[in-house]
Amino acid sequence: MSSDQELIELVNEGDADAFETLYRRYRDWIYHLAWRFTGNQQDALDVLQETFTYLLGKFPGFNLTASMTTFLYPVVRHISLTIRSKTRRFTNDEEMLSEITAPALKEINSSRSELAAVLAVLPDEQREVLLMRFFDNMSLLDIAAALNIPLGTVKSRLHNALKRLREDNRTKDYFLE
Amino acid sequence: MNEKPEHFDEHLDLRVSPEFSADLNTLFKPQFSIPPEIDRIVMDRAHQQLSPKHWRHRILRHISIWRIAAAAAVIIFAFSLNLTQKPGPTTKQSLLVEVRAVDIDGSGRVDILDAFKLARYVESSDRTVKKWDVNGDGLINSNDVDMVAFAAVRLPASVLPAQKTRVQVDKGV
Repeated sequence: MSSDQELIELVNEGDADAFETLYRRYRDWIYHLAWRFTGNQQDALDVLQETFTYLLGKFPGFNLTASMTTFLYPVVRHISLTIRSKTRRFTNDEEMLSEITAPALKEINSSRSELAAVLAVLPDEQREVLLMRFFDNMSLLDIAAALNIPLGTVKSRLHNALKRLREDNRTKDYFLE
Repeated sequence: MNEKPEHFDEHLDLRVSPEFSADLNTLFKPQFSIPPEIDRIVMDRAHQQLSPKHWRHRILRHISIWRIAAAAAVIIFAFSLNLTQKPGPTTKQSLLVEVRAVDIDGSGRVDILDAFKLARYVESSDRTVKKWDVNGDGLINSNDVDMVAFAAVRLPASVLPAQKTRVQVDKGV
């Protein structure tokens, strides 16, 4: 299987099949991420298309200097917020970010509602880092690069989020002693 | 918020049960999969953009932008040197190079758009318009593009098409 770097070099030469391979490799991750940001299927599908249109526009001459997810995360985040802001009115960015990343309690069954309830009250930046690590499986370095923040800040946010979950009776069983 | 950016020295314990990631996956996974028509739209767009016809234009645009930016940078650098150097005795001799400034796009003047158009023409297989051999070396190539780009930046906006312009180039001795 070709690496992302090899595929990008092929697309830089005009290889549409290589682009399709990249699309198949990242479309689900982008869609899930966009859905997490927008909370709406149609908006998430729009984000998916916009993201690949943006990526296509980087060729020829695209030079990937980090991992693909590190490159794509801020792109998906930005497009999601833009699309979301067009369809809904929010008083400020914090309100929007809070709403789009918190799970909708009424849509989940009771076995996971306690986890959702604890996550919902986490500060936005802690919840975001937690999801990037344990849902997107991104490394701490990739998270730091994707959010353009120091590694120490990533560790601090993750530490505070996990501490809160460990100390809460509803979620403490998730953690290994 | 109790955040300690930059310097986080405490031990970070990332051990969680497999159920944690599984439950996150359930909570944050969309209920619907991606419809096939979305795949088709994205791939149709990709095949269209990467088709030989479009791709040639994109490559040319990519190359031309860098080429013209480099030419402009060189000219600006040379111009800034001229401003900082006081006139006086010099060991350099001047060599006059004659450049035919060609109005490629017929806009009535020679500008950077002429360089763009000539760059596109150079990339095409049909190179029969001899008047676009700007430097008169018998070839229509990137050197002609550089000449037009140079002339476009160097010449005043009022310069008319096909006017012969003398561009002074300093040559060290």
